[in-house]
Amino acid sequence: MGGLGGLLSRAAAEEMRKSDKQVLFLWLDGGISQLESWDPKPNTTFGGPFRSIPTSVPGIHFSELMPKLAKQMNRMCVVRSLCTKDNAHSSGVERIQRGDPKTRGVPYPYFGSAVAKLLGPGESKLPPYVWIKPGNGGFRPEDGGFLGPKFGSLAFGDGKPPENLLRNPALTAEEDDERNELRARLNERYAAHRAPEYTEANSYVFDTARELMKRADIFDTSKLPEREVQRYGSHDLGRHLLIARNMLEAGVRFVKVTSYGWDTHGDNFNAHASMMPKLDQSFSAILEDLAASGQLDRTLVIAMSEFGRTPRVNGHAGRDHWPEAWSLAMAGCGIRKGVVVGDTNEQGTWVKSDGYDIGSLFHTWYSALGIDSVATEYDNHGQPLPIAHEDMKPIKEALA
Amino acid sequence: MSLVTISAGAADSLPEQIDRLVAAKAGSQPLAPAAADAEFLRRATLDFAGDLPTPAEVRTFLADAAADKRIKLIDKLIDSPRFPERLADVLHVMLMERRGEDAKWRAYLVDSCKANKPWDVMAREILCTDYLDANQRGASYFATRRLDKEGQQLTDYPGLTRDVGRMFLGVDLQCCQCHNHLTVKGYKQADFNGLFVAFQNAKLEKAAGDHATSWLSEGALTAKYDFVSVLTSVKGQTGPRVPFGEEVPIPDLKGDDMWLVKPDRKKNEPGKPKFSPLQEVTQRMATKDNPWFVRNIANRMWWLVMGRGLVEPLDLNHAANPPSHPELLDLLGNELVAHNFDLKWLIHELALTQTYQRSSELPSGATRPPDDLFAIGRERPLSAEQLARAFLRATGEWERVSDNKKADAQDDTKRYALSDFEAAFRTAFASAPKEPELTVNPTLKSALFLRNSEQVLWAIRPRGENLVGRLTALTDNAQAAEELYLAILARLPAADEKADIAAWLEKHAADRPRAIGDCAWALLSSAEFFSNH
Repeated sequence: MGGLGGLLSRAAAEEMRKSDKQVLFLWLDGGISQLESWDPKPNTTFGGPFRSIPTSVPGIHFSELMPKLAKQMNRMCVVRSLCTKDNAHSSGVERIQRGDPKTRGVPYPYFGSAVAKLLGPGESKLPPYVWIKPGNGGFRPEDGGFLGPKFGSLAFGDGKPPENLLRNPALTAEEDDERNELRARLNERYAAHRAPEYTEANSYVFDTARELMKRADIFDTSKLPEREVQRYGSHDLGRHLLIARNMLEAGVRFVKVTSYGWDTHGDNFNAHASMMPKLDQSFSAILEDLAASGQLDRTLVIAMSEFGRTPRVNGHAGRDHWPEAWSLAMAGCGIRKGVVVGDTNEQGTWVKSDGYDIGSLFHTWYSALGIDSVATEYDNHGQPLPIAHEDMKPIKEALA
Repeated sequence: MSLVTISAGAADSLPEQIDRLVAAKAGSQPLAPAAADAEFLRRATLDFAGDLPTPAEVRTFLADAAADKRIKLIDKLIDSPRFPERLADVLHVMLMERRGEDAKWRAYLVDSCKANKPWDVMAREILCTDYLDANQRGASYFATRRLDKEGQQLTDYPGLTRDVGRMFLGVDLQCCQCHNHLTVKGYKQADFNGLFVAFQNAKLEKAAGDHATSWLSEGALTAKYDFVSVLTSVKGQTGPRVPFGEEVPIPDLKGDDMWLVKPDRKKNEPGKPKFSPLQEVTQRMATKDNPWFVRNIANRMWWLVMGRGLVEPLDLNHAANPPSHPELLDLLGNELVAHNFDLKWLIHELALTQTYQRSSELPSGATRPPDDLFAIGRERPLSAEQLARAFLRATGEWERVSDNKKADAQDDTKRYALSDFEAAFRTAFASAPKEPELTVNPTLKSALFLRNSEQVLWAIRPRGENLVGRLTALTDNAQAAEELYLAILARLPAADEKADIAAWLEKHAADRPRAIGDCAWALLSSAEFFSNH
């Protein structure tokens, strides 16, 4: 039935752009072990050394490595029946983040680019798709896929703003504003007799630059309050999620935070013992903050990887790639609270119920954001393209 | 005015014929008048020299009363040593779409443009390079860069095949890799795959031994290529084949007979087959006998000079997407063939048309004519290369920066070399890699660069005789305004513009260098500076 939806109409598009929904997308790159986190199997063949602990929802248990997140379970929905298809990082990361529609010969946008396109920047006028990550930052056009480079991400490498985002110290804010007004005035005369598209686009980027620079407080990460840094954790993930919270508060539509190092082919248990407390601390802190301010009600929160890890422990005490049965966590707008969806068998090797592929999750996320994932289609130069895999459906049990 | 009539008019010059065809299509739509002298001078200098006219050149041109001064200017610009450099920039951006920079490729393009090498010869050298010829091997970058492995992706033969179609024939056959095109009737799966067979048979070899660049070796092709439509499951088969052309028969050779040079693994010799699909395809494709090849380059040169193609998009040439002026495109193609694919000649002819010389200003109250009538001069953004040069010219830093062989952060006068500015402008203004750079839009990145980058601010601080240094010393504000507009926008300011500048300079008289710098910045960041209009 997928083909019946009309093209993305202008009216529907404008309506969607009035949405106040936002997204926090936490990407645990390399593949967090479901067994050491959302789907523990203590005292089984492959369960590993860690115990499980009760959560704030009776009957649901997490790994003991996440005591703080266990207290947030009443706000979350955990899906334990992911069954995806790709077990290579290079293609898996793309496959998951692009939502794996059927091959169309054109690269699909990453989820962040898709939301930027569908919902737009919103009232904040800030760039709609910001990516906070360790390493290099900058403008990342390739995420945009066929939507084009302008829907790519604005990446904050090591949490720092991209080059030239902060006002040059040689100028005061007043001087900078004043000379920009002079620019606008001198520009008007030229614009008066020319095609509006070009001069308007020119003004638009200068205005957006100004909005961004005005909000230097949220982008200037050298000034994070020490007390909050301590609460989120004085490590990359803690700082980056704290910046993410500030950006969401400022109105950025889609914030992606990446944490690297989850590819634990060797020494899986010590690695998780060292990394999980950081995730536990920072992710629970941002959930608490978003809930306390009421913002969680309009923010879709997702924490996931490109796949899970093998139940079988390899010769290096590691776990390898396992797309067959793994988990993710969600919270916030449109998401049912305090539920686990799906189940794995006793040893955690396979999904017991129906497995969900990434296409189902894209439908679920769009539904949570109030976007009709069947009726809405992209118009790629006349070629109608579905925004999510047309053979799949949202996970109803995960939706509020 | 009398009615426009189209007569055979063989005696008419090509520019006259072009203007007549454009006027005929425009019908009752009024055509914009000729651009003012200053607008014309700036446009032509940017288009044909990739540069800004100096204030002295503007003054001289404005004062020149000669009736043929525009023709003389065009002659001078197109004969100047800057012209081949500029054409090389254009071809580089068009063919490589910001995949990177390469010195040998650059040298190949510049030398070819300097020698005014016919386009069909260039195209054949680019598509099927003689890698051992020092004058030619730089051309291999077009294909070898595209076949470079990136991450864990497979070697991108489909991408290369697609780009050969786009750049040299004006057809984007991407969809036909997997099925006949859904919306373009004439694009068939065999059209893509015939080209694909020839390129997929080639292998990227590293530079070594006699090879100073990476290069493509070819295998011995013995069988046709099988493909299946993913939509209809209909099977097909093709040998090497130019899109829309005849299949090249694969000779029935076996064993040693297949090779001119036999492959020898011990000697790292990939071998050389007697039957070279690349050569066969290239010779049939890049020739005056292939109408797609002729139309494509005529259309792209029109686009270069007029800011919009007769066929748009440039790579979607097909029956249901006809040129806005079919007769005109045929005329250009025929003339180009008659002149042995001489691009310099064609550009010169186009520059002499009234169509090229029209004002980009819309008269007050008039509605904008449809773009495809070419009734009004078309604005287009400057390339990163044009901008870097124009920016340094305008700020009076060109000599200092281009003479500086080595950047020295400690010495304010040697702080930047030309390559720093070129790289910075490319980062801020060029399209993303693999995106056609045709209608570049201003981006957030470019706005932030102009507002906050140290390089931009450095250039508008007073330093010796640079623009801001020179004008800081001037006490007459009206004169300073004139100099600012001449240096940056290559025109004289209007009275209200002069007044605005004077008011600003008076208000900020306490810090005149900064006040001048602010005005320079405001003009350098304006839409007018960033477009060729």
